[in-house]
Amino acid sequence: MLNWSHFIYFAVVAVICWTAGAYLSFRERKTGAVYAWTILGLAVFFSFIVGLWISFERPPLRTMGETRLWYSFFLPFAGLITFVRWKYKWILCFSTLMSTVFICVNLFKPEIHSKTLMPALQSPWFAPHVIVYMFCYAMLGAAFVMAVYLLCCRKDKDVTREMLLTDNLVSVGLAFMTFGMLLGALWAKEAWGHYWAWDPKETWAAITWLCYLIYIHLRLKQDADRRVILYVLVIAFCCLQMCWWGINYLPSAQGVSVHTYNME
Amino acid sequence: MWKRPWTYLEGAVIGAGLVATGEILQLSVGEVAWNLFAYPLNVLLAAVFVSAIILAFVVRKRVYFFRWCATVQAAIPIMVWCAVLTLVMGLSGWMSMLRWWPLVLCYTFMMFVLGMTCLKRLRPFSFAFMLNHGGLFVALLAGTLGNADVQKLRMEVRVGRPEWRAIDESDNSIKELELAVELHSFTIDEYPAKLMLVDNETGKAVPAGKPEQIVIEGSVTGGMLMDWEIEADSCMEMAAQVTDGENKVKYVEWKNMGATTAAHVTAKQRETGEMKEGWVSCGSFMFPYHALKLDERYSLVMPEREPKRFASDVTVYTKAGTVKDAVIEVNKPLEIDGWKIYQLSYDETMGRWSDTSVFELVRDPWLGWVYAGIFMMLGGAICMFVSAGRKGSEQKETLKTSESC
Ligand code: HEM
Repeated sequence: MLNWSHFIYFAVVAVICWTAGAYLSFRERKTGAVYAWTILGLAVFFSFIVGLWISFERPPLRTMGETRLWYSFFLPFAGLITFVRWKYKWILCFSTLMSTVFICVNLFKPEIHSKTLMPALQSPWFAPHVIVYMFCYAMLGAAFVMAVYLLCCRKDKDVTREMLLTDNLVSVGLAFMTFGMLLGALWAKEAWGHYWAWDPKETWAAITWLCYLIYIHLRLKQDADRRVILYVLVIAFCCLQMCWWGINYLPSAQGVSVHTYNME
Repeated sequence: MWKRPWTYLEGAVIGAGLVATGEILQLSVGEVAWNLFAYPLNVLLAAVFVSAIILAFVVRKRVYFFRWCATVQAAIPIMVWCAVLTLVMGLSGWMSMLRWWPLVLCYTFMMFVLGMTCLKRLRPFSFAFMLNHGGLFVALLAGTLGNADVQKLRMEVRVGRPEWRAIDESDNSIKELELAVELHSFTIDEYPAKLMLVDNETGKAVPAGKPEQIVIEGSVTGGMLMDWEIEADSCMEMAAQVTDGENKVKYVEWKNMGATTAAHVTAKQRETGEMKEGWVSCGSFMFPYHALKLDERYSLVMPEREPKRFASDVTVYTKAGTVKDAVIEVNKPLEIDGWKIYQLSYDETMGRWSDTSVFELVRDPWLGWVYAGIFMMLGGAICMFVSAGRKGSEQKETLKTSESC
């Protein structure tokens, strides 16, 4: 029967495959090989999850460690989908790195295998919700870097191409954010009985979402000042930070959020 | 200002006007009484709102304002107003802002713009656009107007006593329902017992902030805590506390209601070689918890075992004659007759021996519409992912978009 002591073998093989995929994604005309390596890694990793599922006789969703397992799986998965569609060269590096971080957490902190989740978090909605948000952060973080770069270093030159890239990053990021938010709503309905309760995290998610919508709509017309548009992106990213971890320190949010366990 | 075509500035002023009007309303009629919008008023209001949008759309050629409403110049300022008002709510944590007229008016006008935009974009029709905008419109409309029809009730059921009454959480009144719940049994599965050290003076687990613990599970029966080597030589899931002839407390196997978990441990101080032995127990509603004092600084304790799964084995009967057997768990509600029954809680003073289960019963007749909106938006998000940044800016025609970065 498979158990956690076998994890390292599967993890090492999977990370090697994903690294190969990420490396090849920087080479021209190697797309087929990129897909093949990444999918192979996913297959190896997923076989461990299935093995654990069979030997536990339940889906591995119950402990912190088991949830990290799904993170490690879905990160390269979402990375692959994004790569297939947009061919960002950095995306597979990002997803491999993040996935490896969670694998290391599982390898070096085995005590989290027994650290249990509160029953409401033992849900198949949890991991997808978190993964999609991580991708959203990656995209919108990249868009933020672009905005700062354009604001500070490229004052007068023609930046049409860079703006289009930023648009693309924001749209992909916003798509992920919308997905994450709605998955969160569906899950909240299953677990707590209501899909949207305007608790602090949800309120800040709504603000952040609106900010990015404003950016997208501003870009539909030519008349707005480019600097104003870029500042919207900077403000939006600040709101995102607030939503992500800032509210844990916000006095008005203490003790009322059902989401503050995210601190763990 | 007010020279056609209107720009963001006019939009911002209209938003400010809404906030001012809202504040006057707030002062004159008081906060928005959402609970008045219960069925059938909300259906009527939804019909009026949608008809108003259609009507405004029909006469848009003659009324500039309505034509303007379906433009980005109208959309952005009101989105900014909504974001700002929501921000105030986020910063202040003042939840009753949801009943604050300025916020409600701004969101209503945003919905109006959204509805007008949807109608305008029927031609040329764009699937992605309709999923995003139409989905948001449907979800927001059903979510807000349907809110007054949401019923949330708490029902406490004891084993063997079918219950058909529940407490309405909005006003603490007792309601008689068209369904009855019979509880056959309530079970709590717990995580394995743990051992940890607490500081005798502060009562806090050590090391402070990052307490260490030993989980007693299967073959694992010992480990190190600070400088103490701990070994549990017997651990009983179900035990009773008894006093032996010399007035010493000990535990014996006892498979009955009220049993507690207890472990007999030996502890050895690594440096001094000092040995201690004795019982630790997390206690239950019948027995007190029991710690083992190791030295002046530390005591060994077994914290209360955390619940892994609560489950209620129930039969639900409805007046219409449906009978349904089910196991209700957290994240696994039971659906019957438009009600969803959630496992909420149990009698915590009894812990795992609770013979009472507390359910939350939720009924939301508008849920189908909200879900329709949500699923449209999920589809819209997929469309947006696929075609991100391709549309919109006119300048894009001149450049190839999907160049890699
Ligand atoms: C508060 C809600 C919203 C309002 C008031 C609004 C308003 C508008 C308006 C007026 C346009 C211009 C349409 C035209 O010129 O034909 C537009 C376009 C657009 N909006 Fe929104 N929108 C809202 C929400 C959203 C959402 C939730 C999304 C996506 C997540 C979105 C994405 C878009 C896109 C992609 C376009 C360009 C459509 C095209 O030209 O095909 N909007 N929106």
